Amino acid sequence: MTNPAIEFRDFSFRYKSQSEPTLHHIGLTINAGEKVLILGPSGSGKSTLANCINGLIPFSYEGEISGSCIVAGMETKQASIFALSKKVGTVLQDSDAQFVGLSVGEDIAFALENENVQRKEMLVKVRTAAEIVGMESFLSHVPYELSGGQKQSVSLAGVLHGSVDILIFDEPLASLDPCMGMGAVDLIDRIHAGHKTVIIIEHRLEDVLYRDVDRIVLMNEGCIVFDGSPDRLLTSDLLHTYGIREPLYITAMKYAGCQLTEEDHPSSVSHMDLSRFTNQLRTHQAITLKTHVPQKGEEILRIDHVTFAYDRDPVLKDISFSIRQGEKIAFVGKNGAGKSTMAKLLCGIVRPGKGSVAFHGTDYQIYSIKELGERIGFVMQNPNQMIVKDIIKDEVALALTLHGKTPQQIDKAVMDALKMCDLYTMRNWPVTMVSYGQRKRITVAAILALQPEVVILDEPTAGQDYRHYTEIMEFLDGLNRTYGLTIIFITHDMHLAIEYTDRAIVFSDGQLVADDAVFKVLSNDAVIKRANLKQTSLYTLASRLGIAPEQYIGHFIEYERLVKQHE
Amino acid sequence: MVPGDTFLHRLSGTTKVRLFVVLLVYIIMSFDLRLLMPLLVVSFIGLVSLHPNWKLIRVFMVAVFLMNLFNVFLFWVADPAVSERWLGPGRTILFSVTPRLFVSLETVWYLTVRLIKMYTSFMVSIVFIQAVVPSEIASGLYSMGVPYKVCTVFSLAFRYIPDIGRDYENIKISMQTRGMEMDSRKTPLGKRFKQTVLILVPLIITSFDRIGNIANAMDLRGFGRLKKRSYYCEVEPSTIDKVFHWLTLALFLYCIYWIAVNKLPSPNPWIWFPFEV
Repeated sequence: MTNPAIEFRDFSFRYKSQSEPTLHHIGLTINAGEKVLILGPSGSGKSTLANCINGLIPFSYEGEISGSCIVAGMETKQASIFALSKKVGTVLQDSDAQFVGLSVGEDIAFALENENVQRKEMLVKVRTAAEIVGMESFLSHVPYELSGGQKQSVSLAGVLHGSVDILIFDEPLASLDPCMGMGAVDLIDRIHAGHKTVIIIEHRLEDVLYRDVDRIVLMNEGCIVFDGSPDRLLTSDLLHTYGIREPLYITAMKYAGCQLTEEDHPSSVSHMDLSRFTNQLRTHQAITLKTHVPQKGEEILRIDHVTFAYDRDPVLKDISFSIRQGEKIAFVGKNGAGKSTMAKLLCGIVRPGKGSVAFHGTDYQIYSIKELGERIGFVMQNPNQMIVKDIIKDEVALALTLHGKTPQQIDKAVMDALKMCDLYTMRNWPVTMVSYGQRKRITVAAILALQPEVVILDEPTAGQDYRHYTEIMEFLDGLNRTYGLTIIFITHDMHLAIEYTDRAIVFSDGQLVADDAVFKVLSNDAVIKRANLKQTSLYTLASRLGIAPEQYIGHFIEYERLVKQHE
Repeated sequence: MVPGDTFLHRLSGTTKVRLFVVLLVYIIMSFDLRLLMPLLVVSFIGLVSLHPNWKLIRVFMVAVFLMNLFNVFLFWVADPAVSERWLGPGRTILFSVTPRLFVSLETVWYLTVRLIKMYTSFMVSIVFIQAVVPSEIASGLYSMGVPYKVCTVFSLAFRYIPDIGRDYENIKISMQTRGMEMDSRKTPLGKRFKQTVLILVPLIITSFDRIGNIANAMDLRGFGRLKKRSYYCEVEPSTIDKVFHWLTLALFLYCIYWIAVNKLPSPNPWIWFPFEV
């Protein structure tokens, strides 16, 4: 296996619209049949690197190239994107937008249609490709009937035809729930076993390591800063330096003072050699920690036997829970389980068919959506879907203007909100000037300006790398600590739930299947299975050590809280 | 999308599109109830055979009928002698509402033909829409010589318009929770219009993001390299397709004949009128 599939030699690239190059003097060889993870924070150039391999650069994104990039024997500068597309298959991040067909079969056939393949032949090829990804019984389904994971499998099948032997996955886990993410990693592994060269672009190291990878290439600011085995990367301090999240089990072992070396094979929690560390880990577990009791104020919301249906089938079935002031709660569960509908119901956008919602003890039916909006704020996942004004200050003021406040009131509330969100110095900037993370902040500020008691955030960290993730979450956590803001997160991210919430409410098929402390939920097998969650690596580690997972995860959370306080 | 499983559904996309185009020509050319009535009846039978969602269709059918009826009524109000331009001078007055607003046999006939013509075109269209899926339209148009890039734009629009609709819904919800009053009873029309414009800003931005992704996904799968293209949804023509093919052709030739004989398009085409004195 020394025959290179991809070879970069002193390769640099600058986008036409930018003054600085995005990639600097890249030297990288990927051999045929290798499985390589390209890791790096946002803006590190990892997606640009992928686009240089599949030909989108320079075909769709113009710019200046120096050095050489040879893919499947072709110099990409000279080859066309079409010639490359016969060798390189790319699965893009947005599984919805890349689904161009009106049915599964059509989408898988798209590349064949473009090749003017005769229909008889096409049907056979589509079927074969669909069988590889396990979607053969869905050929006539329309995209709206599919889950994110299924759409992604279809996209993969769509690029598997003919002689494609290099596959690029651009952030394959970004829009999947934990269980589907595991399925995707597993599918990629199976495809790789069929003698394909696989390149995965991701920043979620732990999730990708669910299956072995041969090599990890770490990028930062357009340069390759590490190229080697996962074991070597995990035992270095590079992850910390470059803002990549370390796998939880590694963190847990470090807390216990374990000195990991390459020989321990730390890249797989289920296969690494633990014998050296067992005692150390058990001793650490024996330390008694003061249990943190979350502060709770009075009850704000009480949801009482609520059932709701858009048309006939109920989306929420007989749900009851209550929320107290100052709580941090995670709504978890697979797509379509009812989390988002529950959030809409709390905001009063939809109202319960049966049952009731009480706000501070009064039935909330007396409030209009507008009135509820002042008390319960809702921040959408994609800030681009929320921002309507050009100037940051105006965006934050919008809701207040709509509520008919006086100019003095507006001024004061806006300035307060901007200061809380650290945006005060940028208040007169145009929205287009700031980064995605800052835009997210603007949307939070725009909601906080109304001074709500509860804020609901839909996937607050979607599409964010670890550094921005931490930034956003610490900021929200601060709001909770300082101002006693009650926060509800709708999320797929179990790390988020572990680190930043005290309580998880789990939905599955419209039912509430668990409402408990996060560590209890994440150690309950039945709940994990029903809600498409996944066992965290802490669970696996605990089982291997013979410690009850519930205790272990609980202990980890307490310990982490302690560590953070000292930082 | 995949069509249903009735006789009409099973026809190939090419057959459906060609037949539809020829039928449109047929309807446009004929101001003749002898040509229109059979087609109206056939299209009714066609619609029934498709087992459509009657609840929805019925609303459409009634609404379109009432609209056309109103349209015809306005024709009459505007000029009770409207038929004379077509049928020549001749006025068999049945009764008069006022001296100006009279009802003549000729006008009643002309407007009836007009109403039925409109309604037949609606019925044929709805049968077509019910029987076809967007990709079949694309493949059908392609088979008639329309460049495939144009056909693809068509099927892409069908693919993504519902997504944009969903984006709009989400944006609207977020604006509502921020205090935008969308209730038509509480907000005047002008203000609602302004607010809708405000929602369009994020909608356009997110749609542009999406378009960029779609274009990349298509480029990466070799779209636009060759002059020709095949279609996954274009089923092999069955015997019935072949029969329809000849029927369509025959109908097309008949249309050409009719157009030639009646020297169409002419400003005052002939209308079949059985009561001529």
